[in-house]
Amino acid sequence: MSPTESTRSDSNHRVSTPRSVALVGNPNCGKTTLFNSLTGSNYKVANYPGVTVEKKTGVVSLPNDIRIQLIDLPGTYALLGSTIDEQIVTQFLNGEIKGAEKPDLVVAVIDATNLERNLYLISELIDSGFPIVVALNMMDAAEDKGIKVYSELLSRALDLPVIPIVARSKRGLEDLKSAIAQEILHPTTSKRSFAWLPHEHALAPKIKETFSLHPAEHPEPELITTAGALRYAWIRSVVARCTKISERVPSQASRRDAVLTSKVWGLPIFGVIFACIFQAIFTWAQVPMDLISSAVDALSAWVAATLPAGLFTSLLAEGIVPGVGNVIVFVPQIAILFFCLGVLEDSGYLARAAFLLDNFMRKVGLQGRAFVPLLSSFACAVPGILSTRTIPSRFDRLTTIMIAPLMGCSARLPVYAVLIGAAVPSLFIGGFISLQGLVLLGMYALGIAGACCVAWIVQKLFKRKDSCFFVLEMPPLRKPVLRVVLRNVYDAVLSFLKNASTVILACSVVVWFLATFPKPEPGYQGNPVEVSYAGKMGKAIEPVIKPLGFNWEIGFGIISSFPAREVFVSSLSTVLNVSDTDLEDHKSLIQRLQEKRADGSFSTYTAISLMVFYVFACQCMSTLAVCRRETGSWRWVFVMFGYMTALAYVASFATYQIGTRLF
Amino acid sequence: MEAIQKTHTTTSFEKSLSAVKIGQRVVVSAIKSCPTDLLRKLVSMGLVEGTEVKVTQRGFFGSPINIHLLGSVLSLRSAEAAHIQVQPL
Repeated sequence: MSPTESTRSDSNHRVSTPRSVALVGNPNCGKTTLFNSLTGSNYKVANYPGVTVEKKTGVVSLPNDIRIQLIDLPGTYALLGSTIDEQIVTQFLNGEIKGAEKPDLVVAVIDATNLERNLYLISELIDSGFPIVVALNMMDAAEDKGIKVYSELLSRALDLPVIPIVARSKRGLEDLKSAIAQEILHPTTSKRSFAWLPHEHALAPKIKETFSLHPAEHPEPELITTAGALRYAWIRSVVARCTKISERVPSQASRRDAVLTSKVWGLPIFGVIFACIFQAIFTWAQVPMDLISSAVDALSAWVAATLPAGLFTSLLAEGIVPGVGNVIVFVPQIAILFFCLGVLEDSGYLARAAFLLDNFMRKVGLQGRAFVPLLSSFACAVPGILSTRTIPSRFDRLTTIMIAPLMGCSARLPVYAVLIGAAVPSLFIGGFISLQGLVLLGMYALGIAGACCVAWIVQKLFKRKDSCFFVLEMPPLRKPVLRVVLRNVYDAVLSFLKNASTVILACSVVVWFLATFPKPEPGYQGNPVEVSYAGKMGKAIEPVIKPLGFNWEIGFGIISSFPAREVFVSSLSTVLNVSDTDLEDHKSLIQRLQEKRADGSFSTYTAISLMVFYVFACQCMSTLAVCRRETGSWRWVFVMFGYMTALAYVASFATYQIGTRLF
Repeated sequence: MEAIQKTHTTTSFEKSLSAVKIGQRVVVSAIKSCPTDLLRKLVSMGLVEGTEVKVTQRGFFGSPINIHLLGSVLSLRSAEAAHIQVQPL
């Protein structure tokens, strides 16, 4: 049995490409923690071409010089699942996904505190005949709850290798690695396939046919319930043989849970938590943001002063540095937002929030589970839309995707921040509530209100065709692990910077080019941008946007920010920088806008109307791209872009017209 | 098995999970007239004949409800809980 015996005969495995090992398990079983512990920082996230599978893979070195490619699959309760994520897992395991090989081995993670439900998936995996290694996780938590699990007995009952581990504190990982290596060299399958199905049962042949490798799409309800009851009966007998439950200690967590979800305290606590998060985003981030911002200004001034005057210097000092810099400024806010969301997620609070909000969400035609995607959309609509995969109903999922971009994402922040800074006086109501902060909050509220209206209208207009349900596991409340949370922050910041260094960089070069060329004829006295391509584009749409209070400069800003909202800030600053013939003078964008406000060319109503426009407008290429990928059709891309732009125009029109007439 | 057979003969005590009070412990006896997707979900989560369930929390207007079963807590709407027939323990 010693692994060394087999090394010679299987030496070809060592040199060949790493074997692929799939990691499966219920949501909240510690699967991702195990993945992180096994792979360290050696992992990458990608997508399979053409399908909506987020592929998280990492290379792990095992004993005997074996290297495996570990694939983290979405959490799933069953192979015959009802959510898209769950169906993806099944397709992946069966090798039905293009571009992905059928895995050589399945590592199934199960939660020792919740054995019965976790064994349901194991039982299905056994029926499908996969070679499996079981990682019995959370052994420590189980002992705390008074549950003793005998892994050797469980191993015998399932006819599978069962390795006790604690993924959070990395206990048992070496044993797990050896077991995986052993199975890679000598794959075996369990002899307990359909052990739960008594041969003499009247429905046995029919059930076996229905629940085999390629299951029927719509089996009869009677078969589902009968098979489920039989399977759980078998699982119960297995668990009874392999565990010893001593007297349960009444848990403190359940008392805390009762408070967090109570009718009296639930919503106030929820409100306080989110008020604190918004406060944190705007106050804690201020110092690092000011630092980055002054560094960008200094760099831009330094470039203009040191390099010889010319086109290249102009491109650097007026295009690239302020263009990319004005966007990188928002990294601290994004980091704080993702840190807070990570803490709430890892502690299990988000599921409680979904419980609290379900009633309200149902009123507007959504379900509590849509809360998490919509919340993520406050950071960015792209991860928000990706996380709608956990919503089983297609109708609900589509509605959530459609309204996710109305949540005030972090790319809108730069636009709001600049316009508020330029047009809203920095007053404090009652000495401590900032008027600027209040206006900002108003913009977020407007987005949420718009989203609710849209969802409500969609629900009234279209009759749902598929069933909609809300069945959500409440993960146990626990102390969040800093390592896990920081990893989330790191991923989010990295992808934001990647975007800034590609899309935003390219945009700022294009914007600079459009604002600089063609050069005005010698002797031209006016604003050089006015005769450039940018000026021509802005002037072309000026008649359409004039009723909204926008001039051609803003018009060009809107056109240029189609790929990403935050480009508006950098393109406006480029346009104003280029127009400014006095190159020595480096003013911030807010200062320039304030000057324009003083001479009457930029009014407060224009600023507010412009903010309202950005609340609703779908100025984001990545959102449209992810919408195409997730809905699988261009139709929804057009619907999304169309309705949001129309909404933005109408709302902005109303704001400006009512504002200038009434006040 | 004996307990399960008993539930079939004493259907008069059956009621739906949506009508169970907080803190009460019950046993699932059947799932009725339920869409396939939801049925699969409920079954995979352990809501099958013979499973012991305790209602631990209710939201405003009685929905959603949190139930404790098989060592974990599940949240579902009262409309979904209405499909689940239970017997007092």
